[in-house]
Order: sequence, then structure tokens, then C-alpha cells
Amino acid sequence: MTELLIRNACVIDPLNDICGEVMDIAVRDGKIVESVGSGAEVIDAGGNLTMPGGIDSHTHICGTKVNFGRYMSPEDMRAGRTARQGHMHSTSGYSVPTTYGTSYRYSAMGYTTALEGAMAPLEARHTHEEFTHTPLQDMMANTLFDGNWPIMQAIHDGDIRRAAAIVGWTLSAVKGFAIKLTNPGGTEAWGWGKDVASIRDPVPHFEVTPAEIIRAMIEANEMLNLPHSVHLHCNCLGKPGNHQCTLETFDLVPNANNKRQSLYATHVQFHSYGGSSWRDICSRSEEICRAINSKPQIVIDMGQVMFGKTTTMTADGPMEFNLYRLYHNKWSNHDVELETGSGIIPVYYSRKNLVNSIMWSIGLELALLTDNPWQCILSTDNPNGAPFVKYPEIIALLMSKRYRNEVFETVHPNTEHNVPLAALDRELTWKDIAIMTRGAPAKALGIVDLGKGHLGEGADADIAIYPININETDPATSAEEVIRAFSQTDYTIKRGRVVCRQGTCMVDGKNTTIWVDPHISENYSMDHDPEFAKNFDRYYTVRMSNYPVQEEYIRRNLCIETEAQL
Amino acid sequence: MKINDVVCPFCGCLCDDLEVTVEDNRIVAVDNGCTLANAKFMSKERLASPIRRTGDGWENISYEEAIQYTVDMLLDADRPLLYGWSGTHGEAQCIGVHVCELVGGIIDSTTSVCHGPSILAIQEVGHPGCTLGQVKNRADVVIYWGCNPLEAHPRHMSRYTTYADGYFLDNAFRERKVIVVDVRETETARVADEFIRIKAGGDYAVLSALRAIVRGKGDVVPGSVAGVSRSQLERIVTLCKDAKFGAVFFGLGLTMTRGKYKNVRNAIELVDELSRHTKFTITPMRGHWNVYGSNEVFTWMTGYPYAIDFCRGIAFYNPGETSAIDLLARKECDACLIIGSDPGAHFPRACVEHLAEIPTVVIDPVPSMTTALADVQIPVAVSGIDADGTAYRMDGVPIRVRKVIEPTLPNDREVLKSIHAKMKEARGQ
Amino acid sequence: MKFILNTGRTVTQGWHVEHKYHQGYFEETSSCFIHPLDLMDLDLEDGEHVEVVSEWGSVVLRAVSCEDLRKGMIFVPLGPFANHIIPPRTHSTGMPDFKNITVELARTERERLTQWELMEKIGGKRYENQ
Repeated sequence: MTELLIRNACVIDPLNDICGEVMDIAVRDGKIVESVGSGAEVIDAGGNLTMPGGIDSHTHICGTKVNFGRYMSPEDMRAGRTARQGHMHSTSGYSVPTTYGTSYRYSAMGYTTALEGAMAPLEARHTHEEFTHTPLQDMMANTLFDGNWPIMQAIHDGDIRRAAAIVGWTLSAVKGFAIKLTNPGGTEAWGWGKDVASIRDPVPHFEVTPAEIIRAMIEANEMLNLPHSVHLHCNCLGKPGNHQCTLETFDLVPNANNKRQSLYATHVQFHSYGGSSWRDICSRSEEICRAINSKPQIVIDMGQVMFGKTTTMTADGPMEFNLYRLYHNKWSNHDVELETGSGIIPVYYSRKNLVNSIMWSIGLELALLTDNPWQCILSTDNPNGAPFVKYPEIIALLMSKRYRNEVFETVHPNTEHNVPLAALDRELTWKDIAIMTRGAPAKALGIVDLGKGHLGEGADADIAIYPININETDPATSAEEVIRAFSQTDYTIKRGRVVCRQGTCMVDGKNTTIWVDPHISENYSMDHDPEFAKNFDRYYTVRMSNYPVQEEYIRRNLCIETEAQL
Repeated sequence: MKINDVVCPFCGCLCDDLEVTVEDNRIVAVDNGCTLANAKFMSKERLASPIRRTGDGWENISYEEAIQYTVDMLLDADRPLLYGWSGTHGEAQCIGVHVCELVGGIIDSTTSVCHGPSILAIQEVGHPGCTLGQVKNRADVVIYWGCNPLEAHPRHMSRYTTYADGYFLDNAFRERKVIVVDVRETETARVADEFIRIKAGGDYAVLSALRAIVRGKGDVVPGSVAGVSRSQLERIVTLCKDAKFGAVFFGLGLTMTRGKYKNVRNAIELVDELSRHTKFTITPMRGHWNVYGSNEVFTWMTGYPYAIDFCRGIAFYNPGETSAIDLLARKECDACLIIGSDPGAHFPRACVEHLAEIPTVVIDPVPSMTTALADVQIPVAVSGIDADGTAYRMDGVPIRVRKVIEPTLPNDREVLKSIHAKMKEARGQ
Repeated sequence: MKFILNTGRTVTQGWHVEHKYHQGYFEETSSCFIHPLDLMDLDLEDGEHVEVVSEWGSVVLRAVSCEDLRKGMIFVPLGPFANHIIPPRTHSTGMPDFKNITVELARTERERLTQWELMEKIGGKRYENQ
């Protein structure tokens, strides 16, 4: 039995309505408890800001396309190297760090849980192997269903129950966590080098529209009683004028769940463009946020772009190809049979570039214009918008109008004609930030009941103590202090153990994989469906019996069992 | 007892539909596999215990002694090389990286002498690829360039291309056009719809000519390029541009000949060019069943796919300097651990001569040419037969190889774990 | 006579990957596939021995007539015989010239060494499985 007592913690715990109260936190055997004995190890937080461990609800850090990004970019690997030291393995990588690099850097920032943004079911084993080597964060995987053949066929036939049954079978088989749709329908069209132009554009051969896919998957999600909602990367990413597509997509979303949103729209910055070409592209964040503010059933994350080098990687194959045609740089592509696609391109976001400056502005606007911070989660779609190590800078930009203005001076001079940022005075508070990085992701992902995202009794003792006193520091005038503080904790505690101390990781670590296992009745189970099995073995190149991710890959794991209502 | 859906641990096809018949913990038959699979599953050549070279022969030793020898050898060395890895499973490869990091040595896989140049090309221009099922279901044009699947990947054409059923093709065999490009008329060339015979070393020029024609600049192409007529080149380009889905597969004919990775780069750029007109992909024909796995594992753990040098404490990558052939040719290594490969048979003589001079340990179930150069050989259970583990197919799809019989010897990861543990102990960790 | 040498995989070589001290491996990997017209020019019969010399050394192989090749080109399956004469130079790429190197061929009366003898010639020790 191990006990820990954190004294003098200035706690912000939005899910429990605690905001700046100085208190003690008692931990026993990895959980928060009421009190501990006198033999407990004591940490003095010194009145510093203490929050639940950070939760990244959308990040690309583990899996096939992430690894593609690594090995095709040795120059990125060389840009961030550390040597082996104590418990820490050597690391490489700047925008796509090695798994240990990712884990140590997130831990130094106080992050203890992360959702891998995209995992193709056929290649799930790879994601799980990399999870094992990202040892200081509990991990979950968004499972891609955007170009899934039997699901599109079921939707075409109007058989949503069957579509849900296939989703359920697949999530159980590959130990996935949630339904991810990336450019739904578009990734299948990309199998022929094509794309879909809008949510009403039917997918070649399968004759279903993205709108139909999205609606069906939202319905299926609720039938399966999944903790998270559908997680959507909208069609038309990156295209001037695409805000229309985004608004039309938002209009599809019913209010189907009273515990959480019915749609999580990810990296919405990339989907908020006005204009009709690169020449007149502008920000439509105001319209987008108006829609979000009137629709509690939608939660978004920012997808903030920050200037500098990074690597884009998404399942959105056609989008990456178009980016390649713009950048003329190296391009990788990886379509996954019967399921989805992906593309990877290194990019550079430049202040001197008007479009990049507009993108930078839009991300911030989304956070400032969404009234309710529970509806706008902080993210960069790591590494697409920027590496996650830039989160502290984003926090500073959101909390300080002055800092925002300073940076705005350095971007392209015409930016102010295309974006409303200069007119936005709002400065987010410490509590807003805590919501956007802990409370909201936990709630959106449906993992509060598992003990994530808060510091109430019974919660996982995942705690971050930052070297900053919120009563002595005014974030509006101390951007540098804010950046310094959020870049490195004094203590990152995971399951009640200090795993990171001022940037040095203290343990080898052993994480938990969180996955869902929807229980589906016999008559809907794909295990007893000869049609499904026949087509599987006929069109996949892996046998159905070899497809599921075996027990060996998930070690310590938390399985969320649900009852499907089919 | 018949076991279905067994995964074959031989070539990069990683076929997973084999049927293995087992009686009394012995394999008595294999169905659905090719001749290479049969050789692998029915092989009876295993060593029963570790062996050590004596003055004039070999003696049996215990696992304890063999592992201790290995630990001492690696810890004593200034510049140890850990080579091979393609014939073992991923979990073992992970431990290999940890061991290498601990001793500050170099870790390299057979990639170096196979598709290393392809990776170099990918690092310059990227890799527009896909999984094999995309090809099977959609491709109406398949190009095999500088490879001979009928000999090196015997079931490739039946499972993934020419003879495979495709969802979008009513009569795949008739609807697919197969083009083979090679310097000699191989078995594969004989079953092609069109065979392009290139003069040795002429691949780069022919690829450039094709790219010029694709871009509409065919008039700069002379009447014949490396022995191929311009009219044939033009015909090929038309075929490619008219395709609904073209899949290029390439092999050592591009990576080993003059130009090496530049040949592959040119092929990738041709596919990029064709991608502006229609759908085209390119896939390297990885030779070993888990060589791609070594690249995947090494990459997520160190940042680099092969030839990684830890002597500076960080991971350092510079093929040509930190790759096995060069290290051995320069006589830079003073100890070598070889696992899951046979450099004695496959490396140029100068490298093999150096291996004979330095302390060498081989981890391999059967005696090989490298055995002759080793001081100690440690036999292990065979991955895919009596050891399970993760493998990555030539297209990156991860499949778990299984045990079909129970092992009588420890497997690779168990042996490496012991080595790692003993090393940490010796270093006081 | 000058030739271009290519080495590469064959099914028979692959079959023997775990049986490298078998006669079959010896026969396959010590074979030198030559075009019949070149055999004539070398005054060789199918099955007779030829000495192949590169800048790095020489090795005795058994000539095998093969029409797949072009004149002036020979093919040796990958293995210790081929590698006996492949130079270790990689041009800073890590990959030696396993294909497309220039060699000289001449008829010879000498015998081939076995694969174990090749290993022993460079300092190895054969292993005999009982």
C-alpha cells in the first residue's frame, strides 16, 4: 500500500467546481482518497497551480502513418535528440518524436492520458505496439471507419443496425475506443485517386453520401452506447470556402445523448475558411462559433497552427496529395484496403505567408469566440498544426491580449483584413484553460466515470503540479511566465507515483490501454454472419481469424463493456 | 491435427492462409504454401543445444554459458555490431534495441543489403503506397520492375496481383495487364503481358524517359534508351495513363545496380507523376518476412529505420558509415551478435573475413554459413513455428505469427531478455 | 572475356536457406548461368567449370546454359560463391554492388570448393550436424 500526500496545492478542478482553492490531496494505491496516514510520502506544492493530469483528446503519436512520418524524415529525427539517461531512453524527433520522446515530453508538460487520433483497424496491432512504448500516458485509439466497405454497403441498404453491428465487432476485435471518421467517403474515393466535393457528393460505386455516413454513424454510436461520440474530421479540409461544408455538417447533428455531445468535430481551424480560392481565403470563425454556441450537441477542438516546421499526417489521403502539389516536397501515401487511407507531408508554416497567418489566427478565434469552454478543446491536431510542445505558447496567446497583439504584429501585414482576431479582447482564465485541457476532454471522451480528468475521491491519481502561483501571476501581462510554467511541471504524478520531476522522467512506466467492447446479441454478431466472413476472406488480404488484435498486445488494460441496443 | 490460417515466416508476402498438420508435436504436412514455405515448415535441421567453437571443432554448451559469453563479449567490445533481425519477431527486435542502446553499439538489419536504398529514396521523396488488398481489388495495371516474384515471392501473383480475385474486377486475370521490366527474361517475365528488357544499369535512364513522356515531353527521348525502343516506352506510358489503378512493385534490380537509391527515387517520382493523371502506387518487394518489422521497430524506438549507431549516446544514422557492410569492410567492429540472418552467405567476402577475425555470436535455430565464423551459436525456437510474435508484411500490415507446435528451446526474446538482464546487472542497474 | 555479373535470388537457393550445407545448396549457389552462345565462345560445355574473376578475387563455378540472359551477361544465385568475388564497396549507400559488376571468365580445369571449404579458406570452421 503506497500513500502520498500533496500539501498546499492550489487546485483547479473544473469537474468538481474547484477553482483556486488551496488544499491537500491524498492518494492511496493510485487513487485519490479522503485522507492518508502519517506514514505517507509528502510533496509540498508550495501553493502552486495543481490540476488533474492533462488529457490530449486528439493527437497523432502512435501507428502506421506516424511511423511513416518518422522514418521518411531523418532530418526531423536529428532536430530533437537526447541521449539515454537514468530511466530515460534516448529519443529522437522534433515534430514526430519517437514513442519514448513523445511520452517523456508529454509527461514533462503534465499530460497523463492521450487519444491517438487515427488507427486503421487492419493495422491496429502497430498502434498497440507503439502504445506499449509510450509508457507514461494511458492510451486510447480512435478507430477509422470512414471508408469501410461493409459499413457503407449496410448504410446504402438502410440497415443502420447492421452498420452498428460491424462497428461493434470491429472495435472489440481491434481494441479500439471510438468511431473516427476522416473525410468520410473521401478516403474510399481516393482509392481511385478521387475525392468527394461536399457532404452530398456520393462515393463512387458505393453510392452513399458523406452526410449519410455521418448520420448513420452517429446513430450507430448511440446504439452501441459508446462512451465517446463520433469523432469527425470533416470533408473538404483545407479548402477555401469549406466553412459551408462544416456548417452543413453541423446541421446534421441531432442532440442524441444527454451526458455528452453527439459529435466531436476535430481540428475545426482547418475547416473554417471563407473565400473561394487561395487569393481571397479568409476566416469564418464567427459563423462557425455561432453554430457551435447554439448547438450544445457539438464539441470541437481547435487544431491550432503555429509557425515553424512540422509534419502533416492524416487519414485524408486526397487532402495530403493536394498539399503535396502545393509544396512540391516529399509525399507519402498509404491507403488501407476496405477501410481508409492516409498521407504524410512535412510542411513549414510561415509568418510571411498570408494563408498560414490566417490559419494561425482562426485557431485562436475559435477558442475566443466559443462561449462555453467545455465546447472548445485545446489542440494542434499534433503534429499537423504544430508539435504538442507548443501548447504552452497557445495557452499564453489565449490568456493575454497583449501577447496576442505582439505576435499579431509579426504575422503577414494583410492578415487583419481577413480575420476578426484583432477585435477580440477576451482573455481566457486559468479555469478556462483547465477545462480546455482536462475537464472538457474527459467529459467529451466519456472517461470521467473511469476516474479521469478530475481530482475527486476515487479518481485516478493523475496530477500535474505547475511551477506557478496563480495568485501572484497575472496571465494577461506575464505571457513568458505562463509559457515557462506550462512547459514543465514540478511534478507529474501518474497513478499516485511521481513519474516526472522538472523534466526528468523517473520511472520506466507502464500504461493502461482503454478500449471498448460493445456486447452485441448473437443474431447481429459478425462472428456468426457467413456473408461477412465470406466477403472478409475474399477481399481482405488477411484472414478474418488473424485480424483481431490478440490479448498479448494490450497488457494492462481497461475494457469498457457496453450493451448494444440493436 | 490440422491448424488453419497459419502465417508463413519466410518472405515478405507473409501469407496467412497456410494449413499445417501436426502430429505428436511435429509438423507432418503443409498445404497452401509455396515451395519455400514447405522448406521452412518441414525443415529438420535444428541444433539441439548451443555450441561453442573449440580449437579443432565444436562442443555443446549450456544456455547459461552461451548467454554469459554473449554478455561478456558485448560488454568488453568497444564497437559491437548487432546485425540481422529480419528473421525474428518484433518483440525480440525491441529488446535488441535496448541491448544496443545499453552497450553503445550499432544495430542494423538485412535492410542494409536489400531495400536500404529504397528507404534512402523514400527519405528523399516519400512513398506513395498502399496495402496489398488495394492492389488486389483495384489494380488493372501491375508493373514488376527489377524483381522476380515467381522465384523470390512465389505466391505474390496469386494472392495479390495477376491471379487474385478482385472486388472491382469481374475477371481479374483477363482484366489485369502485367508488365515486367528486367535485364533478363526471368520466369516472371515469361508470364507477363509485356516484357521490357533493359540493358544492365539502364533503369535510371528508362525511368527518366518514361517520366518525360508522361509529362508530354516525349520528343526529348531518343529512339532507344538502354536497349528499349521509344515506341515501347510510349506504349507503356499510354497503358499507365489509361489505367484505373496502377501498382508498381520493385526489387533488388533497382536497389543493387548502379545508381542504387537514385533508381528507386526515379521510380517513386514516376509514380508521383502518374498520380497526377490516375491512381498509381509503388511497393518494395521486401525479402524477409519481418525485415519491414525491423524498420518499424527501430524507427519508433530510435527514430531511424536501420544502421543506427549509439556510440554517442544518442541515436545516430548515416548509412554508408553506420551500415553493417561498411563497418565490417572498414574492420571497425570488434564484436558481432548476429540474429535471424546469415551474413556468412550473403555478405561480400571482405566483410565475412572480418567476422571470422572478431568474436561473433549467432542466434539461429539452424547451422548456417555464419556458423562457420562464429564462436558461439545459440539455437532458438523458430518464430512462426514454435514461437509467436509480431511481423510486418511488405506493405506494413502487422500480422502475428503463431506457434503451431510447442517449443523445446527458448525463443529469441527470451534469450535476448536474459542477455539484457545480465548486462544491466553487470553495469549495476 | 569480359562479362556483366548479376547475383540474385532463385527458388532453389531460397528453398535451401535452412539447409545450407546440403549438396543442393552447393550446386545451386556455385552455378554460373551463361548464354549458350557465350558458352561456345568460351569453349565450354554445359556443366564444365569456369573461373570468374572480379577486381576482388576469383571463384570456380559450374557453367549452366541459360537463354534467359543476354549475351555478355551472367547470373549467379546469391550465396557464398557469388559473394566471394563481390567487392565490399558501397559508394556510401550501405549497399554493395551485388549486381552489374564487370568480371572476366575463363574455362578452367580446377574443381569447385564446397561452401564449407570457402568458409574455411577465409578463417572459418565448418560445422557438421550429426
